[in-house]
Amino acid sequence: MGKQTTLSEKESLALITSMIQKAKASNHEKGIAAILWGVTIAIASLLSYLQIELNLEFPFDPFLLIIVAIVFQIYISVKESKLNKVTKHEDAAINAVWLTYGISILGLVAYINIVPNVSAQLSKQEGWEFVKHYINNTKPDEILSPFVLSSYSLFILLYAFPTLVTGIAKKFVPMIVGAILAYVFFIISCFTALKFDLLLGALAAIVCWLIPGIILRRKFLKLHKNNV
Amino acid sequence: MFKELDPILHSQLRLAVMSLLIGIKEAEFTFIKEKTNATAGNLSVQIQKLKDAGYVDVKKQFKDNYPLTTCSITKKGVEAFEKYVKALQGYLHTDTN
Repeated sequence: MGKQTTLSEKESLALITSMIQKAKASNHEKGIAAILWGVTIAIASLLSYLQIELNLEFPFDPFLLIIVAIVFQIYISVKESKLNKVTKHEDAAINAVWLTYGISILGLVAYINIVPNVSAQLSKQEGWEFVKHYINNTKPDEILSPFVLSSYSLFILLYAFPTLVTGIAKKFVPMIVGAILAYVFFIISCFTALKFDLLLGALAAIVCWLIPGIILRRKFLKLHKNNV
Repeated sequence: MFKELDPILHSQLRLAVMSLLIGIKEAEFTFIKEKTNATAGNLSVQIQKLKDAGYVDVKKQFKDNYPLTTCSITKKGVEAFEKYVKALQGYLHTDTN
């Protein structure tokens, strides 16, 4: 495209179409972040399930793996921002959604850790306590520390939200399907015990991020191979 | 035949640049150069013409101690592009009739 040549109407339209396609095809998602989060949340959820199911003692809370994932995520984001030569309109909106999601997850973790203790303190100030009462009186009543019931269901509900937004904005069907499945898992988890909620959470992470991430990665590698 | 077409847009390279920028927020100069296969000198001249017409914004900054030029389409540019495409479609429609 070195010279300024005169274009016919058809050539102009063909040029416009080809350039729009080139712009669309730029900045293909590499899928690394989706795979990272899919693996992290699935492993953390499964380890937590095993902890309950098999009465295992881990030297750390499996969900602390998220801290390692955050460090990797920052590294990936910085590296990709240096390589990306194009910013698309939807990028800023999607990034804002994932940032809001991250803040909401932190908020939920804080809620789950703070509210039971505060509730216990407030009830004590009012002169009463939470008590575990056995219906058949097989055991004596026990003082109970309050806790948020089926709290992991709320996480599954949150997993679906940014996934669905991204899937719709990017017209990426595997993420839309993943998000819908996560909503189904959320509904099921409302009726199951915590250990099964953890299994459903692991499944949600796999369908929301790991599988779409692998699909994105394959597409990216295929495209990269064709371009080389 | 093309009297009513915007002369700023009715040039191969400038139209290519505008078509690239129409669907994205902003793009680096090197990206536009790569996609249009233009020389840096020619591309600079054509982008300057688009900038003078108010169709694109050009930001010059530094990234990792290297100069970085990014381009984005303006509202006026979007309107001109849409008008140009409509006019083109009009011509094609006339031809097919």
